[in-house]
Amino acid sequence: MVYRRKQTTVSFLIHTVLIIISFLCIMPILWMCLISLKPSSETLSGIHSIWVSDPTFENYRRLFETIPVLQNAFNSIFTTIMGTVTSLFFCSLAGFAFAKYKFPGRDFLFYFVIATMLVPPETGAVPLFVIMKKLNLINSLWSLVIPRIATAVGIFYMHQYICDVPDELVEAAKIDGCKDFMIFIKIILPVIKPALASWAAVTLIARWNDFFWPVLYLRKQVKYTLMVTISLLPVSEGLSTPWPVILSGTTLVIIPIVVLYLLLQTLQKAGAMAGAVKG
Amino acid sequence: MLQILRKNKIPYLFILPFFLLFFMFQLIPTVWTFYISLTNWKGISAPEFCGFENYKKLFIDNMFWAALENTVVYWISGLIIIMFLAVAIASLLNYGHLKGSTIFKTVTFLPNICAAIAMGLIFRMLFDENAGLINEVLKAMGIGKVPWLTSTTFSKIPVIILNVWRNTPWFTMIIFSGLLNIPRDYYEAATVDGANMWKQFCCITLPSLGNILFFCSITLTVDSWKLFNESYILPGPGTSNTSLFQYMYESGFNIFNMGYASAIGVILILILAGISVVQLIARRKQEKI
Repeated sequence: MVYRRKQTTVSFLIHTVLIIISFLCIMPILWMCLISLKPSSETLSGIHSIWVSDPTFENYRRLFETIPVLQNAFNSIFTTIMGTVTSLFFCSLAGFAFAKYKFPGRDFLFYFVIATMLVPPETGAVPLFVIMKKLNLINSLWSLVIPRIATAVGIFYMHQYICDVPDELVEAAKIDGCKDFMIFIKIILPVIKPALASWAAVTLIARWNDFFWPVLYLRKQVKYTLMVTISLLPVSEGLSTPWPVILSGTTLVIIPIVVLYLLLQTLQKAGAMAGAVKG
Repeated sequence: MLQILRKNKIPYLFILPFFLLFFMFQLIPTVWTFYISLTNWKGISAPEFCGFENYKKLFIDNMFWAALENTVVYWISGLIIIMFLAVAIASLLNYGHLKGSTIFKTVTFLPNICAAIAMGLIFRMLFDENAGLINEVLKAMGIGKVPWLTSTTFSKIPVIILNVWRNTPWFTMIIFSGLLNIPRDYYEAATVDGANMWKQFCCITLPSLGNILFFCSITLTVDSWKLFNESYILPGPGTSNTSLFQYMYESGFNIFNMGYASAIGVILILILAGISVVQLIARRKQEKI
C-alpha cells in the first residue's frame, strides 16, 4: 500500500516537472506569435503583452514592405532543398560503399571521415571566402550547397543504418546481374527509407536555420536567405523597426519549420528520430 | 597500387565526393589558414610574410583574451547545464508509466528546430531591461530590474540561456535513444535486490550511457567553441559577449585584417585538436580501468 502511494506521488511529480519543461519550451514561440499580431497601439511591455485585444496582420504587411520577403524566402527554400537532396544522395552513396564493400584502406578511411568532424570547417573561414571568390561563388546560392554535398556526420549516420541491411540482399542482386550503382538505387535506397526520412528532417532544419555561411558568402540583399534578412531587421529601418514587425519576421522563419516538423512527426512513427545515433 | 584502384574502383568512386570536397573546402582552407596567419594580409594588397607578428599581437590583445574567456564560459556552462538537463529530461521521458509521452517528446524537442537567430531576437525582447517579460516576472516576485544585456555582469546570461534552451533537446534525444537500449531486466533485477531509484540511476543508467555521454561531450565541445549565432544576435556592452569565433569573423570581415583573423583561426584549431586528444586519452584510460 505504501509502495503504491509512493508510486503515485512519483508519477505525479514526473508529470508536473515535464509539463513545466514543456511550457518553458513552447512559451517563447507562442509569445512571439502573439506579439506579431499586435497592433502598434497596444502595449508591449510587461505581463500585459500577453493579451492581444485586436489582432492584426499589419505587422506582416510592414515586414513585406521593409524587406524582399518573397525573394529571400525563395533563396532559403532553394538552398534548403538542394542542400538536403544532394546531401542525402551523396552521404548514403558513401555510407553504402563503407558498409557493403571491402576495399583496401576502408577502415582507415572511415575513421578518417569521422576524425574530420573534430575540426569544424568554420575555422578556415578566411581562406574559404577566398576560395569561393576564386570559384565565382560569392553571392551565389550554390556556395551554400556545394561544400556540404557530402558531410562526415551524414556518411557516419547512413553507414550505421546500411550496415544493418542484410548482405544477402546485395549478393542476390549481384547474382541477378545488377550493377553496383543500380543496387544502390534499386535495393539500398528503398530499404533505408526511414533513415533517409529522419536524416532529411535533420538536414532540412539545419540548412533552413543556417546563418554563418550565408552571412559570410552572400553580400547582396537580393541574395540573402531569410535568416540573414531577419537578423538585419532591427537595423533595417534606421534602428527603429518596431518590435512587432521584427517578431513577425521571426514568426515567418520559425513557424514553417515547426509545422513541417509536426507534420513529419505525425507521418513518421514516433521515435524514428530518436534512433538517430546509436551508441 | 593502380591495380588495387582499378579492382575497387566502384567503392572508391562512391566515397570520392566526400574526399574531394574535404580536400577543397576543409584541408586546403585549414593549411591556408596557417599560412595566412603568418602574413599581414589585409584582403586587398598581396600578403606579406611577417612571421609570428600576429600571434605576438594576439598575446597582448585584451579583446582576444576577453573573447577567449567568454568562449570558455559558454563552453563550461553549456557542458554542465546541457548534459545535466539532457540526462534528467531523458530519464523523465523514459519513465515507464508516463502518459502522453509522444506529446512530451515532440514539445520538448521544439526548441532545437527554432533558428538561433530568430530566437535570439525574441530573447532580446524577453530580456529587455524596461519592457521585457522576464524583468516583469522578476518584479512581480519582488526582485528589482536586472539590466540583462546592458551590464557586463549579466550580459552573458541570456546567451547561455539561449544556448541551453536550443541545444538541450538534441542531446536529450540522443541520450533518450541510449536509455532505450538498456535492457529493462537490469532494473528489475536491481529492484528485486532492493536498490532505490537513485542507486539504479548511478549504478545502471550512467555506466550504460558511458559511450553516448562521451560522444555528446565531444559534440558539445566542438559546438561551443564555434558558438557564433547566439552571441552575435545577443550582444552585450563592448566585448562582454563576443565569442572567440565571432571575434575571428569580425577581425576578418569587418576590419579586413585577414592575417590576424587567421591567427585566431589557428588558435581555435589547436584548442579543438588539443581538447579532442585529451578527451580521447581520458576515455582510453577510463576503459582500461
